[in-house]
Amino acid sequence: MEALFFNTDTGYLEAIVRGYKAGILAQNQYANLTQCETLEDFRTQLSATDYSNFLANEPLPISTSTIADKATQILVDQFNYLRTNAVEPLSKFLDYITYAYMIDNVVLLITGTLHERDTHELLERCHPLGVFDTMPALCVATNVEELFQSVLVETPLAPYFRDCLSASDLDDLNIEIIRNTVYKAYLEDFYEFCTSLGSPTSDVMHRILSFEADRRTINITINSFNTELGKEQRAKLFPAIGRLFPEGNNQLAKADELDQVRQICENISEYRAFFSDTSSHGNGAAADGLGAPSQLEDHFFSTEVHLNKLAFLQQFQYGVFYSYMKLKEQEIRNLTWIAECIAQDAKDRIQDFIPIF
Amino acid sequence: MSGVGARENVFATRMALTNTKLRLKGAQTGHSLLAKKRDALTTRFRTILRKVDEAKRKMGRVMQLASFSMAEVTYATGDIAYLVQEQAKQATFRVRAKQENVSGVVLPAFEVDRVAGSDFNLTGLGRGGQQVTRAKEVYAKAIETLVELASLQTAFTILDEVIRATNRRVNAIEHIVIPRLENTIKYIMSELDEMDREEFFRLKKVQGKKKRDTAARDAAQAAKSAAAPPPTADEDREAELATNLLSSKDADVIF
Amino acid sequence: MGYYTSYYSYGLPSFLVVVLALYLLFTGSGEAFNIGRFLEETSPYAFAATGIGLCIGLSVLGAGWGIMVTGSSILGGGVRAPRITTKNLISIIFCEVVAIYGVIIGIVYSSKLGAVPDRLLYTPQNYFTGFALFWGGITVGACNLLCGIAVGITGSTAALADAADPNLFVKILVVEVFGSIMGLFGLIVGLLMVGNAGDFTEYVPEVAGAAANAVVSPYVY
Repeated sequence: MEALFFNTDTGYLEAIVRGYKAGILAQNQYANLTQCETLEDFRTQLSATDYSNFLANEPLPISTSTIADKATQILVDQFNYLRTNAVEPLSKFLDYITYAYMIDNVVLLITGTLHERDTHELLERCHPLGVFDTMPALCVATNVEELFQSVLVETPLAPYFRDCLSASDLDDLNIEIIRNTVYKAYLEDFYEFCTSLGSPTSDVMHRILSFEADRRTINITINSFNTELGKEQRAKLFPAIGRLFPEGNNQLAKADELDQVRQICENISEYRAFFSDTSSHGNGAAADGLGAPSQLEDHFFSTEVHLNKLAFLQQFQYGVFYSYMKLKEQEIRNLTWIAECIAQDAKDRIQDFIPIF
Repeated sequence: MSGVGARENVFATRMALTNTKLRLKGAQTGHSLLAKKRDALTTRFRTILRKVDEAKRKMGRVMQLASFSMAEVTYATGDIAYLVQEQAKQATFRVRAKQENVSGVVLPAFEVDRVAGSDFNLTGLGRGGQQVTRAKEVYAKAIETLVELASLQTAFTILDEVIRATNRRVNAIEHIVIPRLENTIKYIMSELDEMDREEFFRLKKVQGKKKRDTAARDAAQAAKSAAAPPPTADEDREAELATNLLSSKDADVIF
Repeated sequence: MGYYTSYYSYGLPSFLVVVLALYLLFTGSGEAFNIGRFLEETSPYAFAATGIGLCIGLSVLGAGWGIMVTGSSILGGGVRAPRITTKNLISIIFCEVVAIYGVIIGIVYSSKLGAVPDRLLYTPQNYFTGFALFWGGITVGACNLLCGIAVGITGSTAALADAADPNLFVKILVVEVFGSIMGLFGLIVGLLMVGNAGDFTEYVPEVAGAAANAVVSPYVY
């Protein structure tokens, strides 16, 4: 049924996004990029791709952060084009995509206010996707109480903040806990919104969001080992969606070490592979204790890419917009990684990015 | 010879000779002591040099690793610089200075003092927390290396300075002070010798005159007794010449 | 489709119909439900014209819908891959053909129409022509509507597939061709259906001088 009416409003934008997707770097382009000796070569190689001359006007010693910034700017331009052309409910959907970045920005501003810095400087550090019109208004606030009030009034994130936190919490809690609490609320709300959009958007998005939620759950669990974050509090940060929910979440809230996390994830066949090859040499690597989780992170990234790729297999749904953003983000990460490897002359690790196509 | 090379401006007396000899002795002792010190310092210097070299190579590796782990963090979580900056409330990594004595040279040494626990251990809670922890560890190690390097480098500079000063002293003693003292001694000796010889010649002359006088008196007595002839002027001038030659104190007299 | 929408779109109309029917039945006017009477009373012209209208209308609706679906995708895809726009015009043409089918059938059907005085209209032949045109029109219209949508959606997919990978174009075009053939089926059947129906003709009394009115049904006055 969705095919009948989808294209009325969104057909053009969907095709545009698919066009954008065709511009995502492919394996052979990555192969060329990894062969580069200097960042100069790197730029030349990139100019043959969809990025064309985005670095042309940069002064010569190109820093990796410039590359990342410029690439992000391209993505933001594309996104803004989509956004200005979108109508309900796609525009709302795109808004939801920006909320994730918005949370980061607001948290950044909160940090600045907490430490009584000039928050105007921070506006430049904000992620351009998470910028909203009333953001400068948040800088007016001088203490946390005011800031909280203006967040409630000025930002689209108000419901998340209102439901999860109070002004006093901003003072007391660790900033990361605030971030994750809000993010949890955001994920759940996004999930709910996707459900209201109906199939097939909901099918595609639920798959991606569930994974995102599970990933956060597992990450929070692993990262909170040996920190002051209590189990009670940890459980509050777990999104109430995802495939681990509710039973896995409950168990994870009680977990004390990596092995327990592994056991819980065994229950879900897709997640089993994440831990399988870490466990094979995990006993040996247990001493340094760092090898296994960072590999886990790589698994997460590649699974995310895989899921987002799957979203493109289905036409007439909004998932492609979300997936495109995520894939592009991954691509920017890849580019930065390769540039970093070239700059630091670490050729042995240059292959550690996650190819998209 | 007393005329070659610098010497001290002293009166050629026996007293001065004894003094100079004593000073020469002192200079020689000082020279050997300083040379020993120099050798000790050089040995130490070489060790430190080797260590500095090692540390510098190590630093290269470690810093690369560290900045790479930073790249990993950026890959996983994005820019966390500001958050970390703001959340750091106290230094978890401190450097303490202490002193070490090597052959009388005071070398500063830095020690690392790490405070366990940190303020931003929840950074990257949602994702990338492992990378953040790892970057933290690697950077801590890198700073340790840096501190080690810094203490070695300071020791290196100070030792270098000290060794150079010691070297200068040793060389000065060896090539300036000792030869000068030796020259002085030679000079005093030669002067004394000459004075001896002068004395001897003078005595001879006196003796000769006395002999001549005696002969003259004898002759006069004989002449008085016979015709009493006057003494010759020739002999008078000869005696005068001899005294003139001796009274000129020429330093360049060659025997 | 939300939970409530399906209730409102399906449940409410049928509920209203049942209420109305029961009201008529219980108030003693159950006679009003007389399909035969309705069919006989209604003028064959009404049927014929409605049939022709539905035929062309539904066809154009289908074609337009298809072009809308395809077109938006082609436009969007053409931004990044301009080469697809020319090639994928064929999808638009496939959709357009559907409207042409409707026009053809409309013309063929319209030729059956002819002016007949009202009192000489109600003959069995004329009834047949009217019904044939009506149902033929519905057949062609519905066929073309669905065909147009099918071609449109396939065309949109074809455009996107072509933009992503030029090799896919021909393969998906085959699917599209099969979709567009369905409209042709409707056209053929629609032609066959009116094959035996003559033009509207005046009633010629078998007995000269008899009542000149052609009345086949007692309901037609």
